[in-house]
Amino acid sequence: MGNKQTIFTPEQLDAYQDCTFFTRKEILRLFYRYRDLAPQLVPLDYTDKPDVTLPYELIGSMPELKDNPFRQRIAEVFSEDGDGNMTLDDFLDMFSVLSEMAPRDLKAYYAFKIYDFNNDDYICKSDLEKTVNKLTRNELTPEEVSLVCEKVIYEADVDNDGKLSLEDFQHMIVRAPDFLSTFHIRI
Amino acid sequence: IFHGFYAEEVLVGNLATMSTSERIKAIQKMPETMKKKRETRNKVLKEITKKSRHHSTQFSGCTQCLQGAVLSFQRFGNTLSEYFHLLRFWHRTLKIIGAEFGTSVLSYFIFLKWLLTFNIFSFLINCSFITVPQFIAAEPNNLSFTGLELFTGAGYFQQTVLYYGFYTNATISKIENGPSYNMQLAYIFTVGIYFVICFLILLFSMAKSFCRNFVNPQTYSGNASKLLCIWDFNITNEKAVKLKQKNLSTQIKEDLTEVNREVLNFSATERVVRIVVHLVSWIASLGTAVAACAGVYFLSINNLKLFVKGHKNDLESQAAMLVLPIVASLLNAFIPFFYSWLGHLEKFRTPGHHVYITITRNIILKISIVGILCYYWINIVSASESQCWETLVGQDIYRLVLVDFIFCLLGSFFGEFLRRIIGTTVCVSRGLPEFDIGRNVLDLIYAQTLTWIGILFSPLLPGIQMISFSIVFFVKKVSLMMNCQPPRKVWRTAQMTTSFMFLLFFPSFVGVLSVIGVTVWRLKPSEECGPFRGLPSMYAAVSKWIKILENYTASKWVVWIYHNLITSVLFYFILSTVALIITYLYWQIIKGRKTVTKLLRKQILN
Repeated sequence: MGNKQTIFTPEQLDAYQDCTFFTRKEILRLFYRYRDLAPQLVPLDYTDKPDVTLPYELIGSMPELKDNPFRQRIAEVFSEDGDGNMTLDDFLDMFSVLSEMAPRDLKAYYAFKIYDFNNDDYICKSDLEKTVNKLTRNELTPEEVSLVCEKVIYEADVDNDGKLSLEDFQHMIVRAPDFLSTFHIRI
Repeated sequence: IFHGFYAEEVLVGNLATMSTSERIKAIQKMPETMKKKRETRNKVLKEITKKSRHHSTQFSGCTQCLQGAVLSFQRFGNTLSEYFHLLRFWHRTLKIIGAEFGTSVLSYFIFLKWLLTFNIFSFLINCSFITVPQFIAAEPNNLSFTGLELFTGAGYFQQTVLYYGFYTNATISKIENGPSYNMQLAYIFTVGIYFVICFLILLFSMAKSFCRNFVNPQTYSGNASKLLCIWDFNITNEKAVKLKQKNLSTQIKEDLTEVNREVLNFSATERVVRIVVHLVSWIASLGTAVAACAGVYFLSINNLKLFVKGHKNDLESQAAMLVLPIVASLLNAFIPFFYSWLGHLEKFRTPGHHVYITITRNIILKISIVGILCYYWINIVSASESQCWETLVGQDIYRLVLVDFIFCLLGSFFGEFLRRIIGTTVCVSRGLPEFDIGRNVLDLIYAQTLTWIGILFSPLLPGIQMISFSIVFFVKKVSLMMNCQPPRKVWRTAQMTTSFMFLLFFPSFVGVLSVIGVTVWRLKPSEECGPFRGLPSMYAAVSKWIKILENYTASKWVVWIYHNLITSVLFYFILSTVALIITYLYWQIIKGRKTVTKLLRKQILN
């Protein structure tokens, strides 16, 4: 094809193409976006697989994420160490899942992890309360928040254990066809 | 750990047996980190090379050839899709619109961009096969050009490639005994094949959209999915985010108090009154649509006298040509206001009902206006005494498209710009206007329907529509950013997008196909102009060609296909039966899968 880029080896690009929903051009474009966050930290040569991690503050300052109320959870879910500090792999993975080509089940899996604030594989009432507060910018009273969370659990809990598991969440997603287009960040 | 290791071996084994594209899709779908996916991929590739070394002697040459062919085809497909990324124009603009206004408003602009690429494709096909050869054999144009032609489409443009009447029925050849180009066949085959391709593209887009977004309408309810799926990750503008959060909290508060309202039971008299009100509104809306059609019909019959009587070519008769399109566009612009006023009068149970019913009434209005115009063109114009009735129809459509475009721009100006000025200075309580997605999408579908009807009579119409859609995109975007506020109520984007795609296919495209079908098979082309002059019908060009081919032995297979497949009724009967059988089978499979899912769910609970 005549691409004379020297950032990745052809095998690395092939691997990225197979593991994400992006094409070569998009992967390179995303690399440059990653590098723009911290040009002095990210080398222009990834052929020897350098171990570069950008801190959460830089990731959270991207225009696509800086006003999103869930940006911290998104960074934590996709980062390797769970702290929000992302390598290039995590960065590509994140935008691949959030792209429009990702299938519904994959998006549902990661959306579930984002809303699961305490990382216990269940969305319990306290997770829901945190979600509602982030969605409404703390404008509801604690009683209203509690009422809403109880309603949600009552409606969506299929196995009746008082909290939402991944299956409950996926069952709920099936009834919301807009999910595919709203759980999407264009980059 | 041992269990995990064993599971991984099974996974790698499974992936190694799949075909390349399935394997890539399966790896992409794995909910693992990139590192893990890369490791799995490398293991699978090692496994495959191991296997192929073992089995290289067992595979016959044929399978290897096939695999090699499939691989190179896939690589070609990959490079092609990278070039298709040239079509990613306006990516940044769409991102900005989505960032501030969310997915619902963005869906209108994505639909507009899709229609624009469609028109670019139509223009390229029609232009290269029909217009460009005609340029080579063009007759000189003796008419003078005054600026008014841009609006009326008559005058100078009558003798240009813009209209059907200019095209020759001869076989064009530049060199003596050199390659020749049969204009008659080219015209009918290009239009025919173009419509077949359109049909397939629309069918696939509709099926894809249906597949992704279909939800049983009965199961859509509940606050749960509203809450956890509602956050629009597209919105990245600080003000818009704050606004959306505020709207959400208002909505949640309303929902909490509305629980009591649903339990209200209407008394018998109130129910009767509601039914009567609904009935009266439907009669009023259908009556307005019928009245609009009658008005358009009588106006067009009066107009016909202008054209047939002979060209006066003075300012008055030119202006009179524009009356019909202006009246049609005025009706299309103002009657919807009447419909939404009616909708406010009838108190619907949910705001969703209001939106659907208003959109349905608008659709009925637009379909009837296009329908009455088609009836007028097919029955009245084609039987009139004019010299070249196809060019008349082409000019009518050109004027309709142009005036519709101007009204779209004016609508944006008055509907949004002036509304904002009024909303911020005079009546501050009304606030900024919201972008009316439903109405704008219906306008686009109406414009596209006119373009499709007009392709047979004016092959350059997609090019004109291309320019008009680009200008509309730009103007709507600027007006949106300057004048509108993000939508307050929930707009079910996925379902509405699917319904609009379905509308584009079903009444719009299928209607156009029937009109074109009637024109090609039943109507007599004019005697003195166009590529089909002198023939009893446009289709006769094809039957004549087949008769000529019968004399050559080399093309007997074409004649065989024509007589036994295309013109035989039995073939279509068999095709429809097969299609019905496949549809029935798929339906049964889906039903079966639903039952299995229910059973499995019950098992999980117990």
